[in-house]
Amino acid sequence: MSEQQTTRATRAAVWHNPTGWRALTVVSHSVIGKRFMLTGLVFFLVGGLLAMLIRAQLAFPDQAFMSSDIYNQVFTMHGTVMMFLFALPMLEGLAMYMIPKMIGARDLAFPRLGAFGYFCYLFGGLILMASIVLALAPASGWFMYTPLSSDVFSPGVNSDFWLLGVTFVEIAAVTAGIELLVSILRTRTAGMSLSKMPLFVWYILVTSVMVVFGFPPLILGSILLELERAGGLAFFDVARGGDPLLWQHLFWLFGHPEVYIIFLPAAGVISTLIPVFARRPIVGYRAVVLAVLTTGFISFGLWVHHMFTVGIPQLAQAFFSVASMLVAVPTAIQIFAWLATLWGGRPVFSLPMLWVFGFLVVFVFGGLTGVMLALVPFNWQVHDTHFVVAHMHYVLIGGMLFPLVAGIYYWLPLFTGRMPSMQLGRWGFWLCFIGFNLTFLVMHFTGLLGMPRRVYTYEAGLGWDIPNLISSVGGFVMCAGVAMVLIDLLTHARFGRKAKANPWHADTLEWSMAAPPPTWNFDLLPRVHDRHPSHDAQLQEETWLPDMHHGRRETLGCDPVSGEPRQVIHLPANSWWPFVCALALAALCVSLLVRAYPLAAFIALLSVGLLSAWSWHNGLRKPHARALPAPDPLPMHFTGFDSPGLWGTNAALLASGSLFMSMLFGWFYLWTVAPLWQFPETSPLAWPLLLTVCLLCSLAALLYRRTLVRLRTGDGAALPRTLWAVAGIGLVACAALIALLRAPLDITGQAHDAVILVMLLYLLMHAGVATLATLLQLRRVALGYVSAAAPFEVPIVRQLWRYTQLIAWILLLVLIAFPQSWGVY
Amino acid sequence: MHPLRDKPRVGLFTFAVTAVALLSGCEGSQSALQPAGPAAQDIALLWWWMLGTSAVIVFAVVGLWLYAQFRRPPPASSEQPAPEQAGMRHTAAVDRIIARRWLIGGGLILPTVTMVVLLAFGIPMGHRMLPLPLPEAPLRIEVTGHQWWWEVHYPEQGITTANQIHIPAGRPVDFHLASADVIHAFWVPQLGGKLDMIPGRTNVLRLQADAPGRFRGQCAEFCGLQHARMRFTVEALPEEAFAQWVAARQADEARPVRDAGAPSAQVFEAHCSQCHSVAGTPATGGPDLRHLHSRTLLGAGTLRHDGDGLQRWLREHQHLKPGNHMPAHDHLDDDTLSALVDWLRRQQ
Repeated sequence: MSEQQTTRATRAAVWHNPTGWRALTVVSHSVIGKRFMLTGLVFFLVGGLLAMLIRAQLAFPDQAFMSSDIYNQVFTMHGTVMMFLFALPMLEGLAMYMIPKMIGARDLAFPRLGAFGYFCYLFGGLILMASIVLALAPASGWFMYTPLSSDVFSPGVNSDFWLLGVTFVEIAAVTAGIELLVSILRTRTAGMSLSKMPLFVWYILVTSVMVVFGFPPLILGSILLELERAGGLAFFDVARGGDPLLWQHLFWLFGHPEVYIIFLPAAGVISTLIPVFARRPIVGYRAVVLAVLTTGFISFGLWVHHMFTVGIPQLAQAFFSVASMLVAVPTAIQIFAWLATLWGGRPVFSLPMLWVFGFLVVFVFGGLTGVMLALVPFNWQVHDTHFVVAHMHYVLIGGMLFPLVAGIYYWLPLFTGRMPSMQLGRWGFWLCFIGFNLTFLVMHFTGLLGMPRRVYTYEAGLGWDIPNLISSVGGFVMCAGVAMVLIDLLTHARFGRKAKANPWHADTLEWSMAAPPPTWNFDLLPRVHDRHPSHDAQLQEETWLPDMHHGRRETLGCDPVSGEPRQVIHLPANSWWPFVCALALAALCVSLLVRAYPLAAFIALLSVGLLSAWSWHNGLRKPHARALPAPDPLPMHFTGFDSPGLWGTNAALLASGSLFMSMLFGWFYLWTVAPLWQFPETSPLAWPLLLTVCLLCSLAALLYRRTLVRLRTGDGAALPRTLWAVAGIGLVACAALIALLRAPLDITGQAHDAVILVMLLYLLMHAGVATLATLLQLRRVALGYVSAAAPFEVPIVRQLWRYTQLIAWILLLVLIAFPQSWGVY
Repeated sequence: MHPLRDKPRVGLFTFAVTAVALLSGCEGSQSALQPAGPAAQDIALLWWWMLGTSAVIVFAVVGLWLYAQFRRPPPASSEQPAPEQAGMRHTAAVDRIIARRWLIGGGLILPTVTMVVLLAFGIPMGHRMLPLPLPEAPLRIEVTGHQWWWEVHYPEQGITTANQIHIPAGRPVDFHLASADVIHAFWVPQLGGKLDMIPGRTNVLRLQADAPGRFRGQCAEFCGLQHARMRFTVEALPEEAFAQWVAARQADEARPVRDAGAPSAQVFEAHCSQCHSVAGTPATGGPDLRHLHSRTLLGAGTLRHDGDGLQRWLREHQHLKPGNHMPAHDHLDDDTLSALVDWLRRQQ
């Protein structure tokens, strides 16, 4: 007995979450996930309050409750808060909390990255909130169409708040995406092959890939627009060879996948709940997985349906119209898989199922109006009217909020170990459901009656008065419903009755642990045999990683496909670095906001230093090279070449690649479409210099490859020499790039030159990061942290060089060779 | 109290019934459900069909769901196995059959058939709305969006006016849409869909009114502070009436400034002429005032142009339409403004 107690005390010590100020150092995914969700909840309330202001203003015609300026700020912030500060962070928080528990891991693969992402989200959100308090909130609509959001038509600091604040928040989204992606692929427990993963995990896997690819276009767009506003660079200004439609493309290239990024995790909740309450496994597991993958894929090919009225060619319209409707197929497959599951099971009804039912009604209708909107002639009529407002609330509230509440009620016993109040929960549901439909069903007709969206007032007598009043009343009814649910959630932790173990008889792994779960999730990591581990009597027959006396936080590293254990991953523990680095970036964001550029430059350098220091401390600071004793015949991750860090780097490079592709898209788009785009007589760039950069980067990548080949044979002798050479090459390449940047570029006069500048700066940034990483690695080799016995960091830095080499050659092709061969210079 | 609040209140469920009343209302309607031209007619018809089909699908899916959830359990359930084992009774073969029936029927066939039907109607319909070449070239009207008003130019007739567009009924009109500042969208719901006005581009929208009438339009793309008060009207006239209207406007265009020596002319020169033109004086930024007397609304649909409307507009426009780009005239006393209004009225 006492031995068990010691074991438990050891575990608690290793996975300890400090309190007080040191709570800022916590990295545990459960804590970070809950912080995401609670912060998201606060922002939801802010967004809801803003919505109520909108409904108050529109309740009656010609109301002067708010001025147009304030109203514009309110609806812009309502959209911004709900999309960027509530919907995605909330779902990512849920995923961060649930995923390790569902796949049998003790934490996510990069716990500190999660904490860093949270603080970026929090600080970015606070910066945006500050703009509301100062009455300087963005006022150009949540998609910030330029030129309305440009420095000419929005001269104040309002748009800067949006561009900087939202970009900052997006860092959190992307880091969470990378973290979830790698965790799902690499940290599943023994035996959990891809085909045995719970459906929710599949949904999150697809979502995180979409986040990695989907957010960079908007990050690029925001950077370009901010550069245009603050630095006068020409990207979107027609007169200087830019095009405002480029912003719309970049925005919706992000914006449409974003809708599915929000919907898919919520649909994952539905796919989790329905089999549990139908008491049978899901019908068509493979079909659902395929549908989710297809949705993710198609969602990147239909952004133009937000732009049917900008006057694009008919063929393109037909293409995007068909693509938009096509997404109905995977959605219908999921809906009918759920129906069939209910049909084939012995369903029981409970509070979460009430919300699932609400989801079904609302979402099916929203999906159908979505198909209508995909039809181009109808779109021309109702685009930018209240019909669209109604449609998107049907798909977002129906597709995200209802499933979210269902999921929260479902997992509540796991979060707190207590049950919700069915009575309050039922009231809350019906008020929300009735209020929601009153508000938004009627709003379809308001739009058809001709009311555009985003008008701060309207005149009486157009038939809009009564529908608007109904919508406003409905909005307040829904508010009461939300309050009811919140009261239930807040009070149940105290008054709710204690939950039995696995109260819903669910089959996924998270229900096999204690509720509320310990910070290390599982005492012993089990071997999973099928998709129903918590119904599996043999679950505990084979277990992993029982020992924590070594004081390390560890989880299993698995083969990405078969789920078989391959290594033991040593996870980093609590740390100040994430908080400190996020704080530095927040300071950078604020200094850019107040346009204190010398200060910003200083803080930017400081941030690079802090991030490097973090990466330094994160690595192993003592040479480790021991093999684990029995009964864990697994190597530690740092003794091999295939570490989670390599996967994380690759995912980050995918995100960067998406940013780069958006940049290339911008270049070719402006070239072919911008009305006043101009090529100068000759290319402003010295091609021999760029060719030199390409060759140097290739040489560096080649050297890394050779040293890696040697390392694999256990020969680390050449490591210091090679790294010295690569670092030197890197420095020369950076110097060459800086020389290249001294070309006579008219960046404020011609979009052509401004785009070239941004691309070269991007290349310089990557070359710089790769060089810096090489230098740091050199030092670690000298100290013995990296060696033939602990080589895992070498392939990581090699990836940086391979990527830099790739973009350098592409830039040579795209900026010089291709235009030359086209004869435009 | 709003100057235009004098029309009947219309409820959601009575809009169809009150269509006639609204059509006869003097400012016209803005409802896409009261189509008055071929494009809008097609779209409205499309809507009612889509609504009907969607309603059937929603009721079917929800009905199936409710039945599946609440149907009486089959008799075998009397010795219902423990929930943990319940799911295991289903063999892979049974699963495959169920999956095939539901997923292929509902997941593949239903949406595909719906889509094919929809596109079979929708794509040709959209094609018909495009400004394709016609044997007889349609009337060309160039509309330029400004923050927050509409510049209307008839290049063939040599007329430039603002916010109120006159067209002949019964034949197609091509609107060439451009923008002077930010993105706007030109939309007359009773006649057809909308099209954006984008800086640096010209988009062409073809509309037609089947019969004479007055139709409201409004900017549909958010364009800043007074997006809500960027309204306009389209008045479709019988062929002869349209010809008369054109002739009258051409006379306006050719007319010299009257009372050029009056003190008000100097007031106009000092305070208005930089942006507004009378009789072709060079000015940019504001609406041309040569045809002001023929316009029934002021401030892009903010205020009725009758009685003391113009005077009120000049005095209170920053209150009536806050943020509009015309500077306030607080420093001009009432007498000066009255004289200016009289002088402007004499310019017809």
